[in-house]
Amino acid sequence: MVMKQKLLAMLMILFFVFSLAGCAGSSDDDQPAPEEKIAADLAGTTLKVFAAYDGKDEIFQAFEADTGIKVEYLDMSSGEVLARIRAEQGKPLGDIWFGGGVDSFIAAQIDGLLESYLSAGAEFVPAQYKDPDGYWTGISLVTVSLIVNTDRCAELGMEVPQTWQDLLKPEFKGEILMPNPAISGTAYTILSGILQTMGEEEGWAYMDQLNAQIPYYAKRGGEPPQKAALGEVAVGLAPDTGEELKADGYPIVSVFPRDGTPWWPAPVAILKGAENLEGAKVFVDWCLSEKGQQILRDNCARVPAREGIELPECLSEIKDAELQDIDFVAAGNARDGLVEQWQTRYGQ
Amino acid sequence: MNSGRPGMVNKFKEGGPFKGTSFSDLLAGLIYVLIAASVLVFILWPSITIIVKSVYYDGQFTLVEYIKLFTQNKQLLLNSIFVSVVSTVLAVAIGLFVALFISHSQNRGKRLTFAVLLLTMISPPFVSALSYIMLFGRRGIITYYLMGLTVNPYGWHGVVIMQALSHASLAALIILGVLRGIDKSLEQASLDLGADSLKTLLKISIPLAKPGVIAAALIAFIQSLADFGTPAIIGGNFSVLATEAYMNVIGMYNLPRAAAMGTLLMIPALLMFIIYRRTVENSKYFSLRVSTESPLKLSRGVNYSLALITISFISFQLIQYITILWGAFAKTWGVDFSFSLRHIQAVEASRLAAFGRSLEYALIAALVGTLLGMIIAYMIERKKFPGYRILDFLVTLPYMIPGPFLGIAYVLAFHNKPLILTGTAFIVVVNCIYRQLPISTRAGTAVLTQLNPETEYSARDLGASEITVFKDIILPSLKPAFLLGFVNTFTTTMTTIGAIIFLVVPGAEVATVQMFTTIKTGQIGVSTVLANMIILVTLAINLVFSYFILRSPKYGGSEKREGAYVPAIDGIK
Repeated sequence: MVMKQKLLAMLMILFFVFSLAGCAGSSDDDQPAPEEKIAADLAGTTLKVFAAYDGKDEIFQAFEADTGIKVEYLDMSSGEVLARIRAEQGKPLGDIWFGGGVDSFIAAQIDGLLESYLSAGAEFVPAQYKDPDGYWTGISLVTVSLIVNTDRCAELGMEVPQTWQDLLKPEFKGEILMPNPAISGTAYTILSGILQTMGEEEGWAYMDQLNAQIPYYAKRGGEPPQKAALGEVAVGLAPDTGEELKADGYPIVSVFPRDGTPWWPAPVAILKGAENLEGAKVFVDWCLSEKGQQILRDNCARVPAREGIELPECLSEIKDAELQDIDFVAAGNARDGLVEQWQTRYGQ
Repeated sequence: MNSGRPGMVNKFKEGGPFKGTSFSDLLAGLIYVLIAASVLVFILWPSITIIVKSVYYDGQFTLVEYIKLFTQNKQLLLNSIFVSVVSTVLAVAIGLFVALFISHSQNRGKRLTFAVLLLTMISPPFVSALSYIMLFGRRGIITYYLMGLTVNPYGWHGVVIMQALSHASLAALIILGVLRGIDKSLEQASLDLGADSLKTLLKISIPLAKPGVIAAALIAFIQSLADFGTPAIIGGNFSVLATEAYMNVIGMYNLPRAAAMGTLLMIPALLMFIIYRRTVENSKYFSLRVSTESPLKLSRGVNYSLALITISFISFQLIQYITILWGAFAKTWGVDFSFSLRHIQAVEASRLAAFGRSLEYALIAALVGTLLGMIIAYMIERKKFPGYRILDFLVTLPYMIPGPFLGIAYVLAFHNKPLILTGTAFIVVVNCIYRQLPISTRAGTAVLTQLNPETEYSARDLGASEITVFKDIILPSLKPAFLLGFVNTFTTTMTTIGAIIFLVVPGAEVATVQMFTTIKTGQIGVSTVLANMIILVTLAINLVFSYFILRSPKYGGSEKREGAYVPAIDGIK
């Protein structure tokens, strides 16, 4: 418990520092650190990536420009990747697994489907965001937010909800959408985050009340924010701040629940049996390098995993939010049981 | 090219190597054996690997998943059957009326109706559900903006409506193929004997179309059993076995339970198949002459009723497509409906590669798969060699397995020795071919059951080889079935994602994967643009293909033009 609190404290300090750094702005942006030494014979090789990350095209182009290694990718959700590499039994048709839910990575690690690699850059990634043996390493933090339709809220005569408790107000009955934890990493993180921070008993009591507000559980992670944008519901829970939808002109705002924002690290991992193993290592190095982290951040608005990288602008509010203190390995191990329990309570 | 039956390609006719020789029959035999073997390899073998996963895991044999299913999840199975029965009845009824409208009524707009049917075959998964929500959601164009209602569109009713509508088009095309082939002289005889047009329609035409109706019912029923997408998106709290199975694979990582659920789905599917087989075997109406025009002059009442149903169906479908089209050009759907090109501009040129790949896969799958389906239909209906019923069942099997399972089954079956095929474009195309085989085979057998085999016997007696018989007698009669098989395989390969996502490799992305990605990230505008691109390309190819296939030589099929259609088909390979 003490250990956890320490970690939380560290985390808070970290974000404080990030945000300060953000305000101060930095001057040495123009000189990318030449920390990657790329073996010449890897240039021209191809790396095959299963990816669940926004801004992939730009990110992989930048990687190719830096290293000469060409990236071919396939967009797949983490559940699909896990089902696929399990069926491929250690002979994957890809080298890298890029982004997604950490629980899938932990499950794959347990099955022996990942290759361990301790990148030099992993040193700068706090322990809570990575596997100590290097089977997976966090590249960014996914933070859960409430995507709130302001028009719908006004119709209901409600203020924009700011906390988990706000969601329980009677006016929001039938107006809150979240995915089914069985299918969505986002929803599972919410569930395990609430249970871990509120404690089992209080946590389930809260989930019971929340369940009464939810018309049904979405079976795709992308559905709740979309439905909130269209005004089908007032609030959709999402693993991002809905920047695409905001840019499209939908009347939505994103809110990090002030009484505890669930989050998880989105990892990168090398698949066991990767054909281009050396290229894959270069890729992991690049993702964790200062420059790589900046490119990831610029193309997908998330909190960078590496210390000392500025936050993307749209996430500046995260410094006011309280990140939940979540033990991911414990959450990963408890997953089957919790999901089962959830199913029997609310699933039918 | 100069002689021969209309609309035929007689490449080998004169002096070809296959002319009535026993060598030719040997070759035909060899083709049958190879095709039967391929069905074993690409259907039976992967199906077994996935079924085995449900009873044998962690190193031991167990039935625990099945026991759990029957004790805890019986409701899911009942839900599946309920939804499938209701949506099948609706789909087949609509399909029958629309088909009768095209084949028998005196109304105008039959060609247009046919073209719209081809359009409505194309409903990219998730997009049609999205349009349903855009139209009938709590903020839907129709329910909210036009009628001022706030209704809850989520539940079993939404699933039934969406499935019935999307399966009705296919049902109509299958029934139409059979209606076109029925012997119109029987209708004439009925009229001559004093029956009125309605009675003739009910007592002669529709019973003659029974093989088509039952085939359409079989396909709609199985398709709806295995459909996981529609209930996932608009089912709300209502769930079915296929959806839960999908969630067990992708979400709970529980392949054994998912495989058990998938296997369980086969029981109702198998029952339906037995009913289908019985009905088909009992239908022994043969037509001797095939004429396209029916002598029936339907009464005004019947005419208008058919027209009314068809027009309602067609308009409902068209509204959906207009919504999708509008979504691509609306500035911000639901907020600002003004015209804008920004979504189209947001589509990068880099996506075209995936488009080209989709087209290539779909064309190969459609041509090869449909031909394969026709030959198998011939084998089942005419050769009736030992075990033909098993072959018939096997061919139907891939449809009973929800898409993602078939994808995983293919990985399990073809990722290791002796057959390592994963990672190739070949296996992607093969998966698309065999998954859609049930449709072309079913359409083919439906037509063949009502085709009198006498002509074939006579040709054989006159010395024609088996290949000649197939090529010159069977294939021409199968034209409508061939068209249907092509359109269906082409369309599904262009639009579905379920199985393919497990088989394509990074760098070989196809168009639907991209569209799906944009839907996942919430870009409603861009995803509708991609959906429209897919719809337009698919529709164009389908129309061109139907034009070449359906163009009857009677209507100006001169020698020259006939020749032109051969390279047209060769050219698109």
